[in-house]
Amino acid sequence: MEKPYRLMGQASTDFWNPLRRALGTLPALKTREEGSISQPSKIIIHLRKQKYNADYDLSAKEGADTLAFVSLLEEKLLPALIYTLWIDSKNYVDVTRCWYAENISFPLNFLLPNRMHCQQLEKLRLMRGDPVLEPGEQLEKELCRDAFECMTLLSQRLGSQKFFFGDSPSSLDAYVFAHLAPLLKIKLPNGKLQQHLNSLNNLQQYCTNILALYFPSDARETPGRKIHAQPDSSDLDNEPHKRRNQILSVLFAVGAMLGYAILTGIVTIKRERPQLKNSGHDDGDEEDED
Amino acid sequence: MSLAAEAFVSQIAAAEPWPEKATLYQPLKEDQILLSDSASSLAVQTFLRMCGLPVQVSCCANAEYMSPSGKVPFIHVGNQVVSELGPIVQFIKAKGHSLSDGLDDVQRAEMKAYMELVNNMLLTAELYIQWCDDYTATEISRPRYSSPYSWPLNHILAYQKQWEVQRKMNAIGWSGKSLEQVYEDVSQCCQALSQRLGTQPYFFNKQPTELDALVFGHLFTILTTQLTNDELAEKVKSYTNLLSFCHRIEHTYFKEHDRESQSGSPHHYKGSLP
Repeated sequence: MEKPYRLMGQASTDFWNPLRRALGTLPALKTREEGSISQPSKIIIHLRKQKYNADYDLSAKEGADTLAFVSLLEEKLLPALIYTLWIDSKNYVDVTRCWYAENISFPLNFLLPNRMHCQQLEKLRLMRGDPVLEPGEQLEKELCRDAFECMTLLSQRLGSQKFFFGDSPSSLDAYVFAHLAPLLKIKLPNGKLQQHLNSLNNLQQYCTNILALYFPSDARETPGRKIHAQPDSSDLDNEPHKRRNQILSVLFAVGAMLGYAILTGIVTIKRERPQLKNSGHDDGDEEDED
Repeated sequence: MSLAAEAFVSQIAAAEPWPEKATLYQPLKEDQILLSDSASSLAVQTFLRMCGLPVQVSCCANAEYMSPSGKVPFIHVGNQVVSELGPIVQFIKAKGHSLSDGLDDVQRAEMKAYMELVNNMLLTAELYIQWCDDYTATEISRPRYSSPYSWPLNHILAYQKQWEVQRKMNAIGWSGKSLEQVYEDVSQCCQALSQRLGTQPYFFNKQPTELDALVFGHLFTILTTQLTNDELAEKVKSYTNLLSFCHRIEHTYFKEHDRESQSGSPHHYKGSLP
């Protein structure tokens, strides 16, 4: 969803805010005039009001084509994407759930990914009109078939052009890139959609091109690699107080255990009084006796 | 249908010629059928006429339950049953009839995209207006949908269907829209179709394709169906080339049939096109 904003030279990201994720209000755009806007179509309308319009140069027919191809993406490619990222068991467990859990703070990291998984399954069921839809090879094949056809059609429409409508990007390019880029960049164990995308050279080139032009810093990283990386200094950069928190929590745990042990008598401390005090006491005793 | 079953059906379909007793099933025309189902059914009938394949239209109260995918219309050809326009087009292609063979790759991509546009925007808007607008649902949709059934089944089925459609609207993000926004979406969709059609007789110049059949099915039904208000029809009427497109197809493919006969007449609630 950053894409149109980046295209127009601005950017804002608030991706990992867990409360917003929990309430289902991401992507969200905070504006001074109108507060927070959370649906992509409303965000685009707001941008157009601010005179940022990537479709300004399009002809009427090209505008119509944009609507049509966006519908094609939503009907044919989006269900397969949802399945690949959220429903397919290997991908969900190995990649998506880990990725979200690592980046959301306690305690929502236990609750949110599963909740989102159930929501996505429900959404897929409603989109397909089948209330008892179960994930499985059958469903995967049908969704992949539709998605392969959609990607092939996009490839045929793109041809050898740089963008869908000539040399400058439009909102259709933003939509297509937003749907295809995750496939290109996330390393998934079960990657049938990725394989098909890689076989369509012009689409692959198109995505890499847009990534290099508008997301140069992200072009080098991939979330898949981050998940498998060993904890290193980049982790410490992300959380500067991590070491301090670790030491404090260990000290707290040790202190709590010791205190409990002493109070319940599991551990007793025998104190030996120093000599001076002993002789003082003896004198006192002697005096008392006297 | 599973993929293996589909492949098997295609092979069998290719072997047999089109029979004379092919039947198309839809809900009862006068009392039961709703706008969205009527539009889908008319689209399939138009497509079959464009291919020159005869079919009898049979109206049954339980058509929705007989359908393999739960959606109407469906056709019964030989010993195969296929529902919805997309699979029917594939099925008929396997029999050797196709309207889109003459298109090149780019045109085929555009055709599929525009068909998805109609499904995504027009059909969803029709479903929204029928089931998520309280007034229309109470006055028209629920009474019509449940008319063949007696109490209490009629209430149960009608509310169940309404709840199912509302959940779907929620899942695809349409539940937050107001009725005016939905009409605006319909207008946008019609504008896109009108711009794509331009001054040509059909969407891909001289020959009709399944896209023409689908667009005709929806637009004609919207224009000839009496709802609680005329706003939906007015949105379509404001595009004159779409109106003349509908007239042209009605004239070419439906006029030779007797208007009173059930199989030929495409219109349902109101009279003919304005």
